[in-house]
Amino acid sequence: MKKKRNDLKKSRASRLGRGLYLGLIILFLYLPIGTLMVLSFNSGKSMNAWQGFSLRWYQEMFQNQEILDALGNTLSIALWSATLATIIGVLACIGLNTMSEKRRSFFMGLNNIPLLNADIVTGISIMMSFLLFGISLSYGTVLFAHITFCIPYVILSVMPKFRQLQNLTFEAALDLGASPVYAFFRIVLPDIMPGVMSGFLLAFTMSVDDFVITHFTRGAGINTLSTLIYSQVKVGIRPTLYALSTVIFLTVLAVLVASNLLSSAGKRRSGPSGGSGMTPKKMIAMALILALCLGFTAKFTLSRGVSAASGSRGELYVYNFGDYIDPDLVSMFEEETGYTVIMDYFDTNEEMYPVIRNHTAQYDVICASDYMINKMISEDLLDTIDFRYVPNIENLQENVRGFVEEFDPGMQHCVPHTWGTYGILYNTAMVDEAPDSWSDLWDEKWSQQIMMPNSIRECDMIAAKILGYSMNTAQESELKEITDLLIEQKPLVYSYANDNARDLMVGGSAAMAVIASGDVLYAQEENEDLDFVVPAEGTEVWTDCWAIPAGAANKEGAQEWINFMLRGDVARMNFEYLTYAIPNTEILDLTDNPILNPSEEILARCETLKNLGAETDDMYSRYWKIFKSS
Amino acid sequence: MGLHPAEFLTAAMALIELDNLSKSFDGELVLDEFTLSIEENEFITLLGPSGCGKTTTLRIVGGFTRPDAGRVIFEGKDITDVAPNKRHVNTVFQKYALFPNMNIAENIAFGLRISGKSQNYINDKIKYALKLVNLSGYEKRSVDSLSGGQQQRIAIARAIVNEPRVLLLDEPLGALDLKMRQEMQYELIRLKRELGITFLYVTHDQEEALTMSDKVVVMNQGYIQQMGTPEEIYNEPENAFVADFIGDSNIIDGIMLEDRVVKICDHIFPCIDEGFGRNTPVDVVIRPEDILIGRPGEGIMDGVVTSNVFIGVHYEMCIEAGGFEWLAQNTTSYPVGTRLSIRVLPENIQIMNKPQSEDEEAISFDD
Repeated sequence: MKKKRNDLKKSRASRLGRGLYLGLIILFLYLPIGTLMVLSFNSGKSMNAWQGFSLRWYQEMFQNQEILDALGNTLSIALWSATLATIIGVLACIGLNTMSEKRRSFFMGLNNIPLLNADIVTGISIMMSFLLFGISLSYGTVLFAHITFCIPYVILSVMPKFRQLQNLTFEAALDLGASPVYAFFRIVLPDIMPGVMSGFLLAFTMSVDDFVITHFTRGAGINTLSTLIYSQVKVGIRPTLYALSTVIFLTVLAVLVASNLLSSAGKRRSGPSGGSGMTPKKMIAMALILALCLGFTAKFTLSRGVSAASGSRGELYVYNFGDYIDPDLVSMFEEETGYTVIMDYFDTNEEMYPVIRNHTAQYDVICASDYMINKMISEDLLDTIDFRYVPNIENLQENVRGFVEEFDPGMQHCVPHTWGTYGILYNTAMVDEAPDSWSDLWDEKWSQQIMMPNSIRECDMIAAKILGYSMNTAQESELKEITDLLIEQKPLVYSYANDNARDLMVGGSAAMAVIASGDVLYAQEENEDLDFVVPAEGTEVWTDCWAIPAGAANKEGAQEWINFMLRGDVARMNFEYLTYAIPNTEILDLTDNPILNPSEEILARCETLKNLGAETDDMYSRYWKIFKSS
Repeated sequence: MGLHPAEFLTAAMALIELDNLSKSFDGELVLDEFTLSIEENEFITLLGPSGCGKTTTLRIVGGFTRPDAGRVIFEGKDITDVAPNKRHVNTVFQKYALFPNMNIAENIAFGLRISGKSQNYINDKIKYALKLVNLSGYEKRSVDSLSGGQQQRIAIARAIVNEPRVLLLDEPLGALDLKMRQEMQYELIRLKRELGITFLYVTHDQEEALTMSDKVVVMNQGYIQQMGTPEEIYNEPENAFVADFIGDSNIIDGIMLEDRVVKICDHIFPCIDEGFGRNTPVDVVIRPEDILIGRPGEGIMDGVVTSNVFIGVHYEMCIEAGGFEWLAQNTTSYPVGTRLSIRVLPENIQIMNKPQSEDEEAISFDD
């Protein structure tokens, strides 16, 4: 009796252990997506504070034409590429099946190689082939690329089914008088259907999932959800994307459940009592997937049709950082001018540059940072702007002009969109005395409470200003001193962070952080204790500008776009949306403060980031590596 | 069983002529200038070991394989290039090849639907065919719920409802167990009689071939070795391959001393064969059941029993005599070590020429 009770206890304990283990695994798997889903219902923008339940982000998502377009693109590309890849794949299987063993294994090997290929290799090689044959990138090229990479998956899941058939039932049908086509549809297809369906679903999910290949093969204005989300990384991911991710997750879940219904229906069919044809459940599942896709595709084509109809003056292709203007301005511009705007996004200057240089896609107007403008001018990649058609240039603040002159002498090629400085964001609840110098970041009082940027030029700039050197120095001895200074600071630094520095400061994780002035207003909104200072030594002034690529097809429209952006009411909307400083005299009532408009005295000690040339760039990277590895 | 001479006579010309068919797969010759004519209402069997070309021949007749050279003539017309679905033949496949996504009735109706028959006609045919194969009432059953023998009978029913001129059967009993195979052999003979159509049957099982066929074609390595009634094939094998392949045989070197006298193992055996000349080396075939056993000194040769196995109905023994190990079958058991004598009736000794050509050499029995 006693022993038995002991056993019982033991088994209860082991059951508890097993349950705990299982719970932990499930937590690991689903906590992240759970967090995202909860945050999508948060009424505030914060990543770590709950500010009440709201459906605001869902509402915003369904009103955001860009997101809906991307969603439509994603689904229509997935549906079409999966359908066409399935048809082509099944046809290929028919051919493979009639080959001799040796030839078939050779071709199956060929089929498997693309599966093992890295996406990036596939993506680049497909893009290069398009460009080689002079095909400009578009919706069609993405579709083509997706079909290409989906076919091997279809073949892989259909082929085993064909091998099981061994041709016998097909020959039997021919023998009974069926034509090959009839025999295929009536006899072979029902038998391989489970393989065909799983191939289709696999292709569909691979297509929805894909980012890299889409990224390389998409044309101007074509975004899928993955490329859209990626392009918004620069400004920070907005909660509408949490809402979107939640919707995608639930959709995929629905498809998964549907395909499980499909396969369980298939299993029953092969049982002894199985009838023929489609079971009701299977039909419902199929219908669900199709309705979902067709619904979105229809909505997508409809909205496309409407926006195309409004553009009677042709199209204006804009290439911009993700989420870098108020989206309402696009429709406003379209209504006023009669152009249809096709907006495309990139994440970094370095990503945009090759697209323009290689003419991978043709844009009429682009947004780029100072040093990149400088580089592009030196390579004749930019057209000059005819300021007779840009009368609103008179609204540009005078104090920004001097900095533009540094990278675009005479300001002939570009017009500033936003500008800003780097300074120190500090938490007044944690720091008793307001910092006023970069050297405060070397104060041991704040050990492990300091955040520095995680990029070469910004870190070097800070040390250079303390030492009184130019941030664009090409002297190795100076760079060595700069690096030594940074190494000295290393033990005090809590984290070298770019995108999340702002949010860590809002959450009170650190006392001081180097941050761009444009992020300050947002941070202050979330946490009242935060304040900002531009150190007395001076800082980097950065400028992002509008420019027209050489050979733009619609230069007239591009100039109208730039003129429109310089208008007072437009600048106001952009500022309210972005909270980045816009150097426009019409909105000085909003921006005339030391954070967004530093004094002349400080500006005099500021510099812009310059393009240093390959040799000096190498030297910078070398010292950055020394710093990183010290 | 036997020939049906009346049927042979009524056929004005052969129903199917296979004219010099050749076929190779991956460089390996499977059929070499194969010629055969098949008469109306004949049950003809292609018999041979695997790889002998028998299935390839059947598939060429069915239209599933194209010969590299040669023609298939059907009622005087060349159908070599005609697609399988346009031929007046139907096939019963080795592994049944029933359509798993259809029930029994739909399987049987498949060919009829394609040829556009009325529903009434189809229903009648299904009933008739199921009755013919003793599976009445199985219309609504699914394929998976049937045993192998039942599935094979459905496959036959599915083929014959189309009233083909020729029914091709590709080792249809290969996947069945022994008892089921014997039952199905009788079914097939009965069906053949009731339907009165031509059966072209492929098998590697000599018993099946000898039981059912009107004519047996023994094949090896793409050639016809011998063609004839089951009795002819069994009793008078034309070469060592056929003798070895059909039943168990003692194949012994001998010398034809003169007409009707052959010397085997230095003993003189009277026989009935003539025309081999004098002192000609020959192969001699003697079936195990034809070796008669007597007391020592009473037969032609004396010998000793070296093994004895009961194989049902009779005993199979090895008898060492004259330096050769003879295989003998007898209903009486002689224990190992028994001394005895053996003899053979003259009509049971089969004399064959030694292989001459290279091709014949290749198929000699020592493989």
